[in-house]
Amino acid sequence: MSVTRRVFLRNSALAVVGTAAVPRFLARAAMGAAEPGLRAKRLVVIFQRGAADGLNIVVPHGEAQYYAMRPSINIPRKAVLDLDGFFGLHPSLASFQPLWKQRQLAIVHAAGSPDPSRSHFDAQDFMEAGTPGVKATEDGWLNRSLHGLPPAPQKTAFQAIAMGPSIPRILSGLEPAIAMNNINDFSVGGRNPKGSPVANAFEAMYNHSTDTVLHPTGEETFDAVKMLKAADPAKYKPAAGADYPKGRFGDSLRQLAQLIKANLGVQVAFADIGGWDHHVNEGATEGQIANVLRDFSQSIAAFWTDLGDLGEDTVVVTMSEFGRTARENGNRGTDHGHANVMFVLGGPVKGGKVYGRWPGLDQSQLYEGRDLALTTDFRQVLGEAVARHMGNKNLNDVFPGYENQPGKFLKFLG
Amino acid sequence: MRLGRTKFATFLLCFSLACIVPHVLAKKKDKATSSPSDPKLALHALNRLTFGPRPGDVQQVMAMGVDQWIELQLHPSKIDDRALDARLEPLRTLRMSSREIAEDFPDPQEINQVMNGKRAMPSDPARRAVFQVQVARLQDRKDRKEDAGKNAVAGPATDKSSRTSIEGSAMTASAGTDGGTTADNSAMNGAMSEPANSGGSNDAMMAAATPSAKPTPEEQEQARRREQQLYADLEVQQLPSLPPDQRFKKILSMPVEQQMLFADSLRGGKGQEFLEGLNPKQKETLLAMNNPAIVVMGELMQAKLLRAVYSQRQFEEVMTDFWFNHFNVFVDKGLDRVLVTSYERDVIRPHALGKFEDLLVATAKSPAMLFYLDNFMSVGPNSAQALGIPPGPYGRGPYGRRYPQPRPSPGKRPSGLNENYGRELLELHTLSVNGGYSQRDVTEVAKVFTGWTIDKPPEGGGFKFDPRMHEPGPKFVLGHKIKPKGESEGLEVLHRLATSPQTAQFISLKLAQRFVSDDPAPALVDRMAKTFLKKKGDIREVLEILFHSPEFWDDGAYRAKVKTPLEFVASAVRATGAEVDDAQPLAQQLNRMGMPLYGAQPPTGYSMKAETWVSSSALLNRMNFALALTSGKIKGVKVEAAQLAGTSASPPTDSDATLSALEANLIVGGVSKQTHDSIAAQMGAAKGAPQKPDSKAGAGKPVAGARPADVSTIAGLLLGSPEFQRR
Repeated sequence: MSVTRRVFLRNSALAVVGTAAVPRFLARAAMGAAEPGLRAKRLVVIFQRGAADGLNIVVPHGEAQYYAMRPSINIPRKAVLDLDGFFGLHPSLASFQPLWKQRQLAIVHAAGSPDPSRSHFDAQDFMEAGTPGVKATEDGWLNRSLHGLPPAPQKTAFQAIAMGPSIPRILSGLEPAIAMNNINDFSVGGRNPKGSPVANAFEAMYNHSTDTVLHPTGEETFDAVKMLKAADPAKYKPAAGADYPKGRFGDSLRQLAQLIKANLGVQVAFADIGGWDHHVNEGATEGQIANVLRDFSQSIAAFWTDLGDLGEDTVVVTMSEFGRTARENGNRGTDHGHANVMFVLGGPVKGGKVYGRWPGLDQSQLYEGRDLALTTDFRQVLGEAVARHMGNKNLNDVFPGYENQPGKFLKFLG
Repeated sequence: MRLGRTKFATFLLCFSLACIVPHVLAKKKDKATSSPSDPKLALHALNRLTFGPRPGDVQQVMAMGVDQWIELQLHPSKIDDRALDARLEPLRTLRMSSREIAEDFPDPQEINQVMNGKRAMPSDPARRAVFQVQVARLQDRKDRKEDAGKNAVAGPATDKSSRTSIEGSAMTASAGTDGGTTADNSAMNGAMSEPANSGGSNDAMMAAATPSAKPTPEEQEQARRREQQLYADLEVQQLPSLPPDQRFKKILSMPVEQQMLFADSLRGGKGQEFLEGLNPKQKETLLAMNNPAIVVMGELMQAKLLRAVYSQRQFEEVMTDFWFNHFNVFVDKGLDRVLVTSYERDVIRPHALGKFEDLLVATAKSPAMLFYLDNFMSVGPNSAQALGIPPGPYGRGPYGRRYPQPRPSPGKRPSGLNENYGRELLELHTLSVNGGYSQRDVTEVAKVFTGWTIDKPPEGGGFKFDPRMHEPGPKFVLGHKIKPKGESEGLEVLHRLATSPQTAQFISLKLAQRFVSDDPAPALVDRMAKTFLKKKGDIREVLEILFHSPEFWDDGAYRAKVKTPLEFVASAVRATGAEVDDAQPLAQQLNRMGMPLYGAQPPTGYSMKAETWVSSSALLNRMNFALALTSGKIKGVKVEAAQLAGTSASPPTDSDATLSALEANLIVGGVSKQTHDSIAAQMGAAKGAPQKPDSKAGAGKPVAGARPADVSTIAGLLLGSPEFQRR
């Protein structure tokens, strides 16, 4: 990887030779413009931390068993937003309905990690590393997905973005990635758009440093800071109709849309939303799960509206570490389960369809007698997005130890 | 990303140009024995065995002799640390047992029990006040939820959703770089303090952990209204004017509604005037009325930073940090909130330089680890508990008289194996992931440790072996038959693991990675591992080998490690000689840098490698922290800007001399020419430019020829420089 990065830096350094006054990012953008055949593809990954209850999100209302196992927290048939006569959306997902009808939203049910762990941290770790059962993996699959990507129109410090205070597991690794809590805080020595004297001093220090680790990162950092200031993403207000709910998740997606619209070269991005661990009083059409689903779906729908035409080259995938028990527990909640539901949204998505094989909810069909069984490995879903959308055919590197056969893709991408 | 040795040599060469002691690079082949007066050796030792040199440390180590100083650090009991003890004195929870902590700083589960009448309200007035407010708040919240349930018809509940989205995010968002967003920072006011419980699968525990979550907008609104009432309430308003003891008594005797108003006014670190002049216990009580968990975790974090900055037993602190990280537990996983204080104090620190096996056994039996990795609820599938055989010493039936425990509802009763601890024990604590064990070994080890549980977990109880949970019959671990003998089976397995060559290799590798470089020479690791086996896991002996190895003293190891955020923050505070009155703001900085203290959620702990900690956001955070620290903008931490450039008889007289003096004081070992020139150029530019007043910076006395603002800015630039990111 260090090779890749050095090459990248050297190229960008060459680009400014003779045009010393031209900021590096402009030179880079110019290089990109010289290759009109390339269009930026983007993959946005959303993690529902805490194990979302897939059975109450995309409801198998055609299963009598579902109602039998969840006497107090089921979503009644009349409340479900029917999709295909068998599955239906939780009523809080109303903002997903138009996306489904426009066939931009696909659903993969009974999907997830095959690892039997019911520990939040293990399971999250496995799904972010992309190697269920293997703890020793040091980097995350989303970072690895950038290895060997076809050349992007512009390769920038913003190629990989996590909305949050630090690089999450999923984006950690050798490819440069940026964690951003708040666009406005991403600077040093104040927010003066012309750059502060201390910022200049730091920049000179890191740019001239011979430190093989800190120099490249420092250089990227100041590139990113300057790019951000020049692009001034703050001027990209949400598009008409993009009504982000208040809260951390809505803020994350709103800012992510700003970065994308500001043409900063975002290729992969990550955001997460917590609050899914409903062991007690989960609620049904109203209550805890209804509220978090509203936040979740309204934020994503607003993001989609906000992206406008840029959505054409964007795929959004959602995941959660595992599902929840098929039966409700003694506290009108659900405990840790196994398979779950994933949403895939995007321009190239063949939506309006629930993909994957439904394993059924009869006692004999349940995983370990209690949970929805898994019929689609999450790596199969992600692999398709990485290979067919992002164009990275090297899936053995992205998901080591998992044989991802393109022939077995669900083909939710057109 | 790996640091090439040759590249590093180039770096050293450049660095030597600007170095104050350029002669140190003079071909020193044989290390410590060669020139005990070499400041670079002293600096290297300080960089590795401490949280960074303070002004004057290098000279002291040289005066003592590097080898002697290392020996002393390896025997911390010989070092007087009373000055630190005095600083820790007000932090009372550090000296409390888990049981005492659980009593004084109740968990949501206990609050719930009191609310449901399953547990008596304590009679001690201080404890009573704490419980009373928590119960009232919980009741309040419950009532409002029910109301909301009744009126839940119209309106997009976007504001409500912000609440549910935060619930659970404290723990589900894994900490640091290892897993995701660390909620919204601020350990004291935000996520870390919320009841969190995701890691495990003990549903009963989790059920109880939901009550108090981050306030919703309505709650905030209500809190605001209450606050107004509070100030309208003359009695409360006059509290600060009362003498401390009277004030405290008055608060304890107020009606609960008024106590709630009072507790609300302490939210977010406000209401300091109420705490003025109180003794530590009184302060803790009042703070616990607002949030019990905050007091315990806050003191733990304060102590960690104070020790890192001020302990004379620096190496012991470094090793305590190392082993805590190796045997990581996450403070915000449920009950671990009351258990981690004892874990660090009684399990980790006493064994930090002892025998590995003792440390391993201590962690295996610690309630903190038993809870964190779920072993406390792991039940043998063929155990008496799983088979439903009723307890009782005479084997009486379910209707017999001796039936000590009320029968829990069957759904809640753990009845199966939990492999979490078994797997981490092999993978992370001993053999390592490539240590040659199979899934079957994991399962068998898990069976061995069934019955290793916690006595009355919610009360902060200790280790207990429960034979009713223990899987009967022989087990087969790593090719050995373990005969059935109850608790001793676990000890036998721990002994085998502690004396295994794979363990020796793995522990030696991790130590070498901490003290030498991210990729230490295999030959060194082999020699350490041999000593590990020969000396029966004596950690101090292994470290002796390490610190007297040519690899440790090799030029390639000098500044080879990138500091973790903790190392960076502690070393910056030490370098500036700052006075820390309140370490909490420093802890918050670490949250921002992705390394919340005690906040590594996964059992792997935090990475010690450079690549984890070098990112754009991390660098920006470090630079901004450096500037804030030296200009006195970190609350609770006082830096005397004027003293940074030296307080000697001959203060620097111009800005060049100021820069040189700051370099010498802050970055012992010097900075590169590039860094020096970048700052000098900046100073030149600043001189030419019209000077704008910078009122906040530099509170100290001006140094002749350099404005204090210059001093603090230059100091900030130096602490944010590439050189200071390494040790």
